[in-house]
Amino acid sequence: MLSLYQPGHGLLHRMPAGSKALALAVAVLALSFLPSSWWAAGVAAAVAPLGYAVAGLGVGVLFRQVYALRWLLAVTLGVQLLFVAPEAATANTSRVLATILLASLLVLTTRIADLLDAVERLLAPTARWGLDPQRASLLLSITITTVPVLARLGSGVREAQRARGAPANLARFVIPFLVVSLKHADELGEALTARGLR
Amino acid sequence: MSALSLRDVSVTLGGTTVLERTSVDLDARRIAIIGENGSGKSTLARVIGGLVTPSSGHVLVHGVDAVRDLRLLRRRIAVVFSNPDAQIIMPTVAEDVAFSLRADKLPRQVVAERVATALEDFGLAALAGRSAHELSGGQKQLLALCGAFIRSPELVIADEPTALLDARNARNVAAHLLERQGHRLVLVTHDLALAARCDEAVLVESGRIGVVGAPDEVIAAYERSLVC
Repeated sequence: MLSLYQPGHGLLHRMPAGSKALALAVAVLALSFLPSSWWAAGVAAAVAPLGYAVAGLGVGVLFRQVYALRWLLAVTLGVQLLFVAPEAATANTSRVLATILLASLLVLTTRIADLLDAVERLLAPTARWGLDPQRASLLLSITITTVPVLARLGSGVREAQRARGAPANLARFVIPFLVVSLKHADELGEALTARGLR
Repeated sequence: MSALSLRDVSVTLGGTTVLERTSVDLDARRIAIIGENGSGKSTLARVIGGLVTPSSGHVLVHGVDAVRDLRLLRRRIAVVFSNPDAQIIMPTVAEDVAFSLRADKLPRQVVAERVATALEDFGLAALAGRSAHELSGGQKQLLALCGAFIRSPELVIADEPTALLDARNARNVAAHLLERQGHRLVLVTHDLALAARCDEAVLVESGRIGVVGAPDEVIAAYERSLVC
């Protein structure tokens, strides 16, 4: 989901964001109903490459997505192998991988502005119950944008600790990371206000 | 009536008085605010920009009450901060600039045209599709300026916009801020050379307005105050 829009002219690029999100949601739902068997694992593994081919995205894009998920896949597969049979563990992990890759397809083939418009339209009926669709879509956008910022803040904290000779320690990392993250949230809030959005 | 008018404005944040019974009238097109760290200059700029609500007093910005008509004020102003990272809201350069127009609900074609023109103006056209967070510090600050200026604000408030930039980028950002026409500028800065290029300057000292006047006079007063 952290990948950015890749310009293109494939079928998925041309689809309206709302219909595309719905189609991908249906595909993900269908995947979740597959049984935990070897053939289901094969189907799940084939769905994402097929989707990327339809979108006209190259193998490199798909590989980068899978590579970014390597640790998640390793943990998912490893933990399941402890509790269930290899067949079920592989099928479940394939489904998780396919689901994330399909979700990434939405971001890879849709401009964020189009995605926000679609979310706003989808949530428009909820305005009568007090929910602000514009804020909800803004939240989605900020979530996507903020993850690389948090990664950079985290690496800054680790660098500062290393510069003072502090050993790697999760407990020592969490507090300063929270502090800089909250400071960033404050600044981002001001930036939103400054752009006339509050 | 002055363009920017503060009357007995006090600001208390977390129990600390940051601005104390401040009154000032400012009319110049480019106004520099200078002073030591913690003197209250950023707070003064934020009060003018409606980002900080004064505990007491009145603030009029181009005839708009900064407390009562906050929404109207925010439509007319733009603010640029020192940390460009915190000003990026959308993933790509073009999307981030377009985000500034989102509240206006303009047709998509109009937005695209205005974004393309603005990116061209700020020398960012070649970076339109790039991830905004992957830009250099100078490019990010230009992006922040581009996002601010695309709204054609009457007033631009820039809080140490060159503080984190190298000399070349600082010069580039300063040129956009100081040489563009059509807006009033309130520039908070530690860079006295930058302040000297403004039309009027304000020295803030310990939460109070110290000196207001021609930049060279105000800078001289500031430098005298630094001599131990």
